[in-house]
Amino acid sequence: MDDATRVKLAVYWHFAETGRGPAPEEVAGRVGLAPGDVLDAYRALAAQRLLVLGADGASIRMAPPFAGVPTRHVVEAGVNRYFANCAWDALGVPAALGRPGTIRSRCAHSGEPLRLAVGEDGPEPSAWLFHSLVPAARWWDDIVFT
Amino acid sequence: MLFFRSEEDVRAWCAALGSPPGPLVRMDQLWGLATTWYATRLQADARRPTPAEIPGIFAGLGLTGEFWDPRAPRAG
Repeated sequence: MDDATRVKLAVYWHFAETGRGPAPEEVAGRVGLAPGDVLDAYRALAAQRLLVLGADGASIRMAPPFAGVPTRHVVEAGVNRYFANCAWDALGVPAALGRPGTIRSRCAHSGEPLRLAVGEDGPEPSAWLFHSLVPAARWWDDIVFT
Repeated sequence: MLFFRSEEDVRAWCAALGSPPGPLVRMDQLWGLATTWYATRLQADARRPTPAEIPGIFAGLGLTGEFWDPRAPRAG
């Protein structure tokens, strides 16, 4: 397994186990690399759209579906609480974890709270909708906005 | 990429922004997207769908048209 894959797994499993993103030093300790090598791997993973980095190049803004910063989309699963990047990623968190969860968000127009239980086979029946203003060809033009 | 409680809320929100509404996606369709993209994300051999694969994935969930094609011509 190459260094970038080891770093990717360390980052994603840190999110899965704790609900928050790791510092580069935590990843370095987990995979046995120097922090500078971890940052090199971060850049390679960002180029593959597996990470979105903060402006400092060391903090993790997104490890989709996990968000490294607070968002309006919260997922409760097991003992952990996760932030998701968007509505799609909110369902992506229980899908990635492979265990049930509860999504708490709100309607972007009315502000009405959403509480959506997601089992191993998918969400409970719901009339709520997902909507994106941005077509697929432009999603990565500004992925934070998307 | 946001949640809305109804189609009326989508239309009102888009009207306030001066943008035409995009396609509406049901929660069961969104689960299909979520599992396709993320169910293997914690595994060593996980990979993202390629641009060539994506339209077929969307079509399998009933999501068709240029909006869902990452290779579509880019306006503007």
